Amino acid sequence: MKDSDSNASETHARFKVGDRVRVKNMPLMFYTRTQNYARDIEGTIVELTYKDLVPEDEAFNFDGVLDQYYIIRFRQKDIWEEYPFENDTLQTESPDRWLEPVSH
Amino acid sequence: MASTSQSKASTSRPELREQYQIIGSFQPAIHIPQNWNYETSHPLFRAYMHPPHDVGGQRDVAGKYEEKEEEGWELNTYVTCETLGWRGIWNSEERRRRADNDLGYTLYLGLPYYGRWLWAATRMLIDKKRFSLPELLAKIDEVKARYERQ
Repeated sequence: MKDSDSNASETHARFKVGDRVRVKNMPLMFYTRTQNYARDIEGTIVELTYKDLVPEDEAFNFDGVLDQYYIIRFRQKDIWEEYPFENDTLQTESPDRWLEPVSH
Repeated sequence: MASTSQSKASTSRPELREQYQIIGSFQPAIHIPQNWNYETSHPLFRAYMHPPHDVGGQRDVAGKYEEKEEEGWELNTYVTCETLGWRGIWNSEERRRRADNDLGYTLYLGLPYYGRWLWAATRMLIDKKRFSLPELLAKIDEVKARYERQ
């Protein structure tokens, strides 16, 4: 473990497998690993992976807070409306901070 | 579209396509393929290493001369950057290095003059851990939402 990790606190995992979430559309600036095409799109949590710094902190060597990471599954048609196949999906990974709950 | 969430997503798609189109257009019309080249010739390497703000000697077309007054945000940017200097957080040469070099050709040519300063000051404050990028993004988001409510 790096020394800096000892100072990091953790955030509570707000979501569980099966929850519907939307990827936040935060400003584009300096660094991120949240894909542009996934922003404002709704998906389903399929796995809780691990807790780690968010890329926007780690890239600048900030200690930051450890966030829960998730695998999120989207329908391809929700991302690209002209996509020809109904059942195809795309999975990506995101920390808790980039997600907001979807209520229907 | 049936639900609110779907219509929100569908309005963002044309915007996203427009963004990808603009990003694609940054590639000059007459170009040599340049995406992780296996080899870079020495003249090309020197051109890449050229500091963007050293504009002397380059060809250009005649531009319209305008006596444009600074806008409020430009004056605020200037004062903020000078204050950061007085407080010893950076110096003028570091400001030039960041605002005229480090941002690269695309942003150097694309942003307004004080937009470069603002970009550089913001990036410097994150690099020096005065605040974090997630804090900045959350703040911009908060202020933007406040303006959109008005």
